[in-house]
Amino acid sequence: MAAIEIESLTKWYGRTCGVEDVTFSIERGEVFGYLGPNGSGKTTTIRCLMGLLRLGGGQIRVLGERVAPGRGTQHARIGYLPGDFRIWGRAKARRALGLLAALGGDGGSAARREELAERFELNLDRAVGDLSKGNRQKVALISAFQHWPQVLVLDEPTAGLDPLMRQTALDLICEAAAGGAAVLLSSHDLSEVSAVCSRAAILREGRLVEMAPIAQIVQQGERRLKVWFADGSRVGNVPSAQLPGVRIVERQPGMLHVAYQGSADAILKWIAQFPVDRIATPQTSLEEAFMQYYRRPPNAGAEANGPKAPKGVQS
Amino acid sequence: MSRAARPPFPLTLLRFWLMRILPAWCGIALLIFLMQIAVSAIVHDNEKVKILLGFLDVLPSVVKAALGGEMLRVGNTSALIAIGYNHPFVLFLFMLYAVGTPTGLLAGEVQRGTMELILSRPTTKIQVYACAGILTLAGMFALDLVMFLGTVAAVNIFPFKDRVPLDSFLRIAINGGLLASTFGAVALLCAATFARLYSAIGVSVAFLVTNYFVAVVSNWWPRMAFLRQATLFYLIDGSNVWQGWPLRNMGILAAILLGTAAIGAIIWHRRDLPL
Repeated sequence: MAAIEIESLTKWYGRTCGVEDVTFSIERGEVFGYLGPNGSGKTTTIRCLMGLLRLGGGQIRVLGERVAPGRGTQHARIGYLPGDFRIWGRAKARRALGLLAALGGDGGSAARREELAERFELNLDRAVGDLSKGNRQKVALISAFQHWPQVLVLDEPTAGLDPLMRQTALDLICEAAAGGAAVLLSSHDLSEVSAVCSRAAILREGRLVEMAPIAQIVQQGERRLKVWFADGSRVGNVPSAQLPGVRIVERQPGMLHVAYQGSADAILKWIAQFPVDRIATPQTSLEEAFMQYYRRPPNAGAEANGPKAPKGVQS
Repeated sequence: MSRAARPPFPLTLLRFWLMRILPAWCGIALLIFLMQIAVSAIVHDNEKVKILLGFLDVLPSVVKAALGGEMLRVGNTSALIAIGYNHPFVLFLFMLYAVGTPTGLLAGEVQRGTMELILSRPTTKIQVYACAGILTLAGMFALDLVMFLGTVAAVNIFPFKDRVPLDSFLRIAINGGLLASTFGAVALLCAATFARLYSAIGVSVAFLVTNYFVAVVSNWWPRMAFLRQATLFYLIDGSNVWQGWPLRNMGILAAILLGTAAIGAIIWHRRDLPL
């Protein structure tokens, strides 16, 4: 049984679509990346999952229990970090965190809280309102992890952290997953998603346009070819009509950097007309793969990748 | 489908909110208590009463109507002590608590963004609403009892020529507590309904002020007498309370209180919070 199961989730705000027909599941011990630009429906999904919004359609199950809005379903076992973390500014960090832990019955979280504070080098005796943005984010992380949750729902968990603390946060996520927790990680930082997530889903305008292992998402994107031609050779313009799907990334005298989709056969045959000095095939990053979903017109993305039947997913 | 047990009542949240509002409650309670002592300090002495009534006669008649009207005369000690119960300053203090508590706790936490954190813990929305409701309604009722205690203290401090019917004042206090709690329930409903803190405060204050204004005008201006029953203040009309327990009016007030609080709970539970 998956720890989080979202089935045909739909949520409309009046006539505006929040998310539509979103389906995915997350296993215990898995870190699942949830990607999409601002307004694509990530936060709506998370708030529906937390029972903070009423569903327009579909259903969500957390640890086998169906989420009922406003009922705190399984919340004792969920660690939640909202994208816009705001807490009682006048309260000391220790008191605010203690209150949140006590709302769930505490469960011996004090020792864990101190341990996390030490790890994040955070002074819990300061008022939250006096803390810097980065330190407030540390408070947010501690609040999500302090009660040993079995499910973690993290919206931009490393926002505002310095690289050292960012790594600490990512280590913590990996440790939680290694301990059997299911992690839903929503982030704009694609390098962190590729660092810790095994699978990811990409959301566009409220619909899933891709869901696959990270490596597969990267491979499905454009491929790159960088060619240096022999000195003095004259390279003509790329005949876009004959080479559909080929895009020039960079062009300098004697060097051509192109991106292509599908087979390399046609572009290699065209390049072969000129005296080639050397060729390189730069790796596509998740970021580049991600960007492609947003360059395409809305329907093309959905058609190409099929939100109805995402690939390589179901567990 | 498995069905989990309801989370335990969030006493931690209740305690946290109680600690937040307690200083304001204590301040208001102290002012109300002192107000009763001050009023009794004046009205226990007939000479001072004459000066007070002379002063009231100088003011517009609507002010005298607001404080008790024709019942205010030398020798009518009870009516004179009751000035401390319906003095605009005392009513303003009650309004401050009635409006400030539920709006600050519900709409305020929503606007601050902390409600999202509270609801991310094992707590239901109804439990959160109940916490705000308990503090509002119990707080309002307790303020009324403090007001009565002020009268009890004053009666023991100042020598009144006539016997002061404390049992009647207890009835007034309990009825007033019901009325105050009902206004608290209206503010609770507003806090549960409106997304913005200031909308909730604005509508609650408007409801309260309109009720008070209509009550005063309908008592003062005979042509507006038909409006008397249109306000909640009618339900604690002094003449009924002096004679005994106005059970019918108390029942109506209790029904309005419970109905309003229940509607607020339904709205709060069903609406998506603007997180």
